Parts: sequence; structure tokens; C-alpha cells
Amino acid sequence: MFEPLFLAQQALNGLSFGALLFLLASGLTLVFGLMRIVNMAHGAFYMLGGYVGVVVATLTGNLLLAGIAAAAVVGFTAFVVELGLLRFVRGQELPEVLLTIGVSFVIADLCLAIFGGDPQNLPADVRIPGALVIGELTYPWYRIFVIGVAAVIGIALILVQSRTRVGAIVRAGVDDREIITAMGVNIRWVFTGMFVVGAALAGIAGTIGAGMQSILPGVQNEVLLYALVVIIIGGLGSIPGAAVGSILIGLIDAFAKAWIPELAYFTIFLPMALVLVFRPTGLFGRVA
Amino acid sequence: MTPTKKSSRRIAAAGIGIAAVFALAACAPPGAEPAPEETEAGATGTLKVGFISPTTGNFAVAGQEMVDGWNLYWETNGTEVNGVTIETIVEDDAGNPETSLTKARKLVEQDQVDVIVGPLIANTALAVAEYAASVGIPNLHPVAASDDLTQRNANDLTVRTGSMGGSQANFPGGQWAATDGGYDTAVTLCADYAFGWESCAGFKQGFESEGGEVIQQIWFPNSTTDFSTYVSQIQAAGADLVYVATAGGAPGPNFLNAYLGLGLDQDQLLLNCCAADQGTLRTMGDQIEGLKSISYWAEGRDSEVVTEFVDAYKEFSDGKVPGAYVAGGYVTASLVASVLEENGLVTGEDLVSAITEYTFEDSIFGRVSFDDYNNTIGPVYIREVQKLDDGNLYNVPIATIEDVDQWLGKDPEDALAQPTYSQSFQG
Amino acid sequence: MNRRRLALIGLGVLLVLGLALPYLGASSFIVSLTSTILIAAILASSVNFLAGEGGMVSLGHAGIAAASSYGVGWASRQGLDTGLQVLIALGVTLAVSFIYGLLSMRTSGIYFLMVTLAVGMLIYGLAFRLSSVTGGENGISGVIRPAWMGQYWTYYYVVLACFVLVTAALWLIGRSPFGASLKGLRDSESRMRSLGYSVPSYRLGAFMISGFVAGLAGLLSVWLTAFVSPSSAGVDRSVHLIIIVILGGIGTLLGPLIGATVVVLVENVLSSYVERWPTVLGLIFILVILFARAGIAGSAGKLLRRLRGNGGARTPGGRGSSASEAVSERNHNA
Repeated sequence: MFEPLFLAQQALNGLSFGALLFLLASGLTLVFGLMRIVNMAHGAFYMLGGYVGVVVATLTGNLLLAGIAAAAVVGFTAFVVELGLLRFVRGQELPEVLLTIGVSFVIADLCLAIFGGDPQNLPADVRIPGALVIGELTYPWYRIFVIGVAAVIGIALILVQSRTRVGAIVRAGVDDREIITAMGVNIRWVFTGMFVVGAALAGIAGTIGAGMQSILPGVQNEVLLYALVVIIIGGLGSIPGAAVGSILIGLIDAFAKAWIPELAYFTIFLPMALVLVFRPTGLFGRVA
Repeated sequence: MTPTKKSSRRIAAAGIGIAAVFALAACAPPGAEPAPEETEAGATGTLKVGFISPTTGNFAVAGQEMVDGWNLYWETNGTEVNGVTIETIVEDDAGNPETSLTKARKLVEQDQVDVIVGPLIANTALAVAEYAASVGIPNLHPVAASDDLTQRNANDLTVRTGSMGGSQANFPGGQWAATDGGYDTAVTLCADYAFGWESCAGFKQGFESEGGEVIQQIWFPNSTTDFSTYVSQIQAAGADLVYVATAGGAPGPNFLNAYLGLGLDQDQLLLNCCAADQGTLRTMGDQIEGLKSISYWAEGRDSEVVTEFVDAYKEFSDGKVPGAYVAGGYVTASLVASVLEENGLVTGEDLVSAITEYTFEDSIFGRVSFDDYNNTIGPVYIREVQKLDDGNLYNVPIATIEDVDQWLGKDPEDALAQPTYSQSFQG
Repeated sequence: MNRRRLALIGLGVLLVLGLALPYLGASSFIVSLTSTILIAAILASSVNFLAGEGGMVSLGHAGIAAASSYGVGWASRQGLDTGLQVLIALGVTLAVSFIYGLLSMRTSGIYFLMVTLAVGMLIYGLAFRLSSVTGGENGISGVIRPAWMGQYWTYYYVVLACFVLVTAALWLIGRSPFGASLKGLRDSESRMRSLGYSVPSYRLGAFMISGFVAGLAGLLSVWLTAFVSPSSAGVDRSVHLIIIVILGGIGTLLGPLIGATVVVLVENVLSSYVERWPTVLGLIFILVILFARAGIAGSAGKLLRRLRGNGGARTPGGRGSSASEAVSERNHNA
């Protein structure tokens, strides 16, 4: 149970799962940070991205193309949702959340109609084959790749947030919405843009995730729950928080299942409940 | 009007209402209907079938396949048998027990069906079986694999027609593994709920009865999507054989991807029916040729009726090979047809006894008969994934064990006296 | 005739219809379906009470009802008599509601939503885990209700009576000083705190009341279906409750009943004819949020008032639709 090989493997398991969670949760936390919307359709975006990614990957054999396609399709869907639906309830916390629940329902059912109910995975040749071998440790390259992608995107997001004008506008908007309008920026398009970016991230997460676990009806609720837990723990609106939260949950998940399998159901929700009770704004969150 | 006066008026109104309710509750309304009556044997007419299946929701694929199997039989052979017309009404329960029960009620009370087929998921199946028995309607189960359906929750009107209990098929599989299979030690990975417990219990008892040793048992939550942590545990266990039982659907491919991805040996794997069903084969593709599993259904079996069935389904479904869910629906239909052929229109208890007294010599499963608890007795196959001439992957039998019953070599009374299988009790 | 009297007469007609249903030629199936609707309405009322009066939207109420159902189910299978079954249901309900309340009383808004979701998932997990008590995935079947309620029409009247009592009781509480304080909390927490109110205690109290109603719904539900399983506690069920409450109209008196009727009928009747019924339900939900935020009951109320040209006494501290108006107005101003 405590041999170095086992520990190393489980650590990598946790990190790679955490990496996927980060890809997923980053979009969700960004949207919340700026727009104060908890997008309950985020899981459905992941699912849609996964299906599209699998279809494109099967057709073209190219993972990059699949990811771009997924981001585009999901981003467009989010664009339509934001412009056509969310716009009407802007600023009203509860109706926004509820609307996204309804959207999730519809997208999930339509995915069932379009893609069918068979579990879908990325084709084996698209997933980076082979494994890293260090002594006795064998670890699939694909999962290491996922960690890499998450790290790159995470750094990119932080850089954009802190170094670019767009990032500055977003940060200003998070602090104080009226200021941005006063600055002359059209807040409406900032919001729409952020929603689309968040959704596109979910779509990419879906495509990449389809290489680690199947996409099938019901996955949208599962991943949404994981994402919610991560951003609650990390703090709503914080990218570093999402990173820390994802790694934490990924590692807890991997090790708890190995060491205390009786608590397998609770490993996810207990930390979330504890954080909500004792530090509701999360580890990195700001007091609203 | 002041609030107090208004409140007391409302309370008075409520009080009168309640009194009226109690008065009315004493008398039966005209809508109350008696239990459905049984028809006479040998009659002609219509057999109305209520088919409940999760055609939407998380189990949509399995649910739809079960319906397809049933419908395929009637489409190929016609809906009239010996003067009896079979009429089927299909209802979706989305895998939800409350919906299942409501649909069952609708079918019985509103549509006046003679028999209910399905539903699929274990908890929905148990709920509907109980209800159907309480209103005198036979309930046939093409796929549901809960042990207790034909053990502790058995009743005279519930028949498992198209599958086996969770422990039933895996027991001889375990025995095979320890003998012909040549494995000495095993580690098991099973879904952490009733079906998984039963499957693992069956395997463990079979394996250990022939001298094998199960050195570790790992349980995974049914909703697991990432199996990497379990595969690491399996690797650390270091056994000869890895037995895996899932409930079908995504866990099969997810597990295999994690297992193969970590570089482990496919020859050490032995899967249960559902982990290696056609859904998994289609998703995984050629990389799992040679994968071994245990099931009551083998679509690659060299038999005329199987070939006929497979060809018919391939035409029906644009080239797909039928898995266990399709087979379960199909064999149930063929069973009903055979019984109607012999007896004419029978309903109620007569239908059940006609089915359970029947020995189906040449079904797509092989020779199938029934025990006193209305469960199937039939062959179990050790299967291997092979690519056949048409380019598809099939589960082909490499070993057959005939006439397997659900008692795992014990007396029914002794078996029923045991506690139900769980993580802590594995037989 | 003023609005009050009109409303009372309307309610009376509804009640009479309800009482007469089994005699209007409805089959046993339709009566059972109506019982299902009424029980869903009771459960939705508990959510509606918290959301409308207290401004707290819970995504975990299915867990409370399920816990109560399991308590009764277990007791029934042990052969305990009715009185004990009810007592156990009561005990379980109060304990679970207390836990929910404790964990959530210091949170609000989206955090409240998350906590209730988390606790609901914990209960779901427990339902699987404690399989020796709960039967795990298979659940508990064969739960028998008291013999005198055995017939489907008698039980229907029991359920109907419970629904009327619960609706009346919740309405009365809403109009009581406690209810006024809750509304104050909903509208402005900081103001209430500065007035010296202990916000957490009021929240806890509201949760206990709401939980009690949810537990009652759980008891009635398991006696109707003779069955309980973990899916009764799942997040899907809680989401359905929210849909019911919103469709009907948050904070309205009859909203839960209207919402329950729509959702139960779509799930059980429409599903026989339309394969994509989840899409239909989702679309209806979205449309209601966009264009009829006060829900069906709330919008009907607004429409009626507009038709009368803003006439009719707009009584202060009014119940029902004016509360939902306050909610939507508050949201507009936010």
C-alpha cells in the first residue's frame, strides 16, 4: 500500500485527473468571477465538446483539430445561449442559474438524440500511444500529456489575466462592474466573450477527457459536480484557486479510493461541505 | 376583512373539507376496478404485452437494445402465433423506479395488459415485480440480473427469462479459471453495489471451490469514470488473474483503457458478461482481440439459430452485432411464442407455469429450462473476443458449461438462508 | 366582489373537484397519478416555502424526503406497526433537517445552494453505503401502508387532506410574525441583523419547518409506491423540485400544485407519446424563466390584477402572488 511505485502511480493518477478537472473548472470559475453566474450547463458543454471531439478525431485522426472543432462548436453554442437567453436575465442570480439548468437538460437530451447512447472514447490512435517507463514505473503518455496541456492553459490564463488589456478589463469587471462601463468598454460584449471562452474551455476539456474516460449520457452531471466542488474549494473566480482545488480533489480522489474505499462516495463532497461551512469563500476566494 | 376573521373562516372551511373527506373515504367510487381475470387456456385472441424499458437516460442504449430484441423477433416471425395476436405497448421509465411503477400501473390499470416485460435496472425490476405480483399480472424479465428477483424476492408471477442472476453465471466461470484456465491467485474488481457484489461472490466461490485463492477484492463506485487508481491497486496486488465485473455501459471501456494504458497484460483479464458486451467491443475495437469473459450469451457461437438471429439483427440495426440486451429481449419473445404455439392464449398463472415447465431445446442461448423459483437454467460460456469473417468482433465460446442453475452447488434452502451478498459477505 | 373572495371561491371549487375526482369516472390509474402529483406538490411546497418566504433555494430537499422514506421503509420491513413507522419518519426527518439547517444556516444565495446540494449527495451516498439498512442500490420494496388506507381511493383522500393541511399551514406560517421576519431576512439580511435578529436561528427554524413538510412527503410517497431507492435522494430529483417550484411560481400558494401537475404529467404521460420529452421539459422551463418568471400561478395572478385595472384591494403584507412580485421586483432592482 505504501510502496514507492504505488505511491508514484497514484500521485500521477491524481495529478492527471486533477489536470482534467482544472481544464473543466477553469472555465466555470472564470464565468463566475466576472458574471456571478454558476453555469449549470457547464457539464453539458463538456459533454458536447467530448462528442464533437470524438467525431472529428475519428474522421481526421488529428487531436488538435478535434480540440479546435470542439472549442468552436461549444463556443458557438454558448454564444447563442448567452445572446438569446442569458441576456434577458442578466444580473438576477437565481434565474440565471435556473436558466442554465434548463439549457443543460436540453443539450443533454439533444446529444442523446444526435450521438446516441453508446459510450464514446477518443480512437486509440489519436490518443498518444505508449507509456513513459522509468525503472518499474510505467505510465501512459496520454495522461502525462493531459497534465501538460492543463499546465500550459493554466499559465496562459494567468498571463492573460495579469498581463494583457483584456485581462485587465476582466479583472476590473470582477472587482467593480460599473467601472468598466464608465471606462467606455462595452460590458455586454465582455460578458458574452467570457461566457464563450469558459464554454470553449469546457469543450476542450471534453475532447481531452474523452481520451481518459467515456462520454455518455449522464456524464454532464458527474463532471459538473466535480467542477462545482473544485471551484467551491478553490474559491469562486480564482484561477490559482481552481488549480489548487483540482490538484487537491484529484489527489484525494486517487488516494482515498485506494486507502479508504469505504469513503469513496464521500471523498468529494465532504471537503466541499467542510469548506462551505468553515471558509465559504474558498481557499483563494475573495469575500464578495 | 381582518386577518383573524379571514383565518378562522379558512380554518372552518378546511375543517368541513376534512370531514367530507372522511365521509367520502368510506364509500368506494365507481372507478374502482377488480383485479384482471384470467382467460381460459386454449383460447385465441390477443395477448397484450406491456414492455417497460429505460429508453432515455443513462441506460438508454441497453434499454433500447432490449426493446429491439423483442421487436426483432416479432418482425421476423410475425405477430401472430397459433391464432393469438401479440400486441406490445412500450413505455420508457428512464431508469427511475418511481416512473417504472407509474408506467406499470398505467399499463395494467389503463391499458389492461396481460403481461409485463421488463424493466431493466435491478431496482426498477424489483419494484415492478412486486407490484405486478400484487395485481396478478405475470412479469417477465429479459435482462435484469438481480439474484433476489428469483430468490428472496421471488414470487409465483415473476420469471427471469432472458438472463441469469449476478452470481449464477460467474460461479462456473470461477471454477473454469481455477481448473482449465490454470490460474492460482486472483484479484477481483467489482462494482460496489448489489450486482457487483453478487458477481464477485459467484466468481470467488467458484474459483476457491477448485483450489484458487482470491487475494484481494477491490470495489469501485458505479459512477466511476477514471479507473487509473484501481488499476494501480490491481497491479500492486500481483495476482495471476484479474476478474472484473461491471454493470455494462461505460465502465467497461473506461477500465480497459486504463488497464491497457498502464501496460498491463490482457491475457490476465477475465471479465463478466456486461463488461465485455458488444458495446465495449465496438468502442474498443481490434486492440482487445483475445479478451476473455464469462457470460450466458455468446454471439459467436456456431449454431444455426444464433447465425439467423445475428443476421436478422445486423439487417435491423445497420450492421451491429447483437449483445446480451438484444439477446435477452429476443429470447423472451421466442419463449412466449413457443409457449403460445403449444398452449394457445394463456394468461396469468397459466402463462407462467407454461413458461416455467417448458424446456427450450434450441434457443439462441442453447438449452434453457427453469427451476422452481422461476429462474433460467442454461449454459454458461467462457468466451474470447475474435474477429470473424464479416470483419466484426464477436465473443466466441472457448468452453461451455451446461445446465447451470442459480444455487452455486448448494441446496436452495441453504442458499436462501445465507445473508445477501455484500462487500463483507462473499459466500 | 373583491379579489379575496374570488380567490376563496376558486380554491373552494378546486377542492370540490379534488374531492370528487374518484367519482367522476376516473380510473384507478388516474387517481393514483393524482396522488403522485399531490405528493410531489407537498414536497415542492417545502422547497417553495424556503425559497419564497426565506429566499433560500435548496438543491437538496429530495434527500430529506428520501431519508424519511427510508426510515419508514426499514420500519415497515421490520414489521413495526404504523405508529412506530410514523414516529421513526418524524425522528429521521427532524434529525436530517437539523443537520441540513446547521450546515447551511450561515450561508446564503449560491453558497446555500451548494451546501444543500452537497448534503443531498451525502445522503445519496449513505443510501448506497448503508446497504444492510437501506438495501443499497436495490432499495427497499414491499413497504405496506396501514390497512385502513389500503384502497387506492382512500389513500387518495389521505394524501389530499395532507396537501390541504400543509398548504394551509404553510400559508398561515407565512402570515405569522415568524413569516414576516423570514421575509425580512430574505429582503435584507443586514437590516435584520442590525435590528437584533439572529439570522442563523431564523434560517434554522425555517429549515426545520420546511424539512418537516419534506419528511411528510417522503412518508406519503413510500406508502404510495411501496418502494424507496437511492434515486429518490439524487440530484436529479432535487432539480425536478426546483423546476416544479419555478414553473408553478415561487412564493405562490398554488404554484407547487400547478408545477407538480405539469412536470409529473410530462414525465409520465407525455413520455409515452414524445420521445424527446426531457427536451420539452427543459424548453418549457427555459421559457417560463424568460417570459413568466413569476411562474404560472404568479403570472396568472399578475394578469388578473392587470385585467382589473390595478383595482381590488392590494392588501398589505399580502400572501401569495404579491410575495412573488416582491421577489421579481427585488431581482429587477438587484
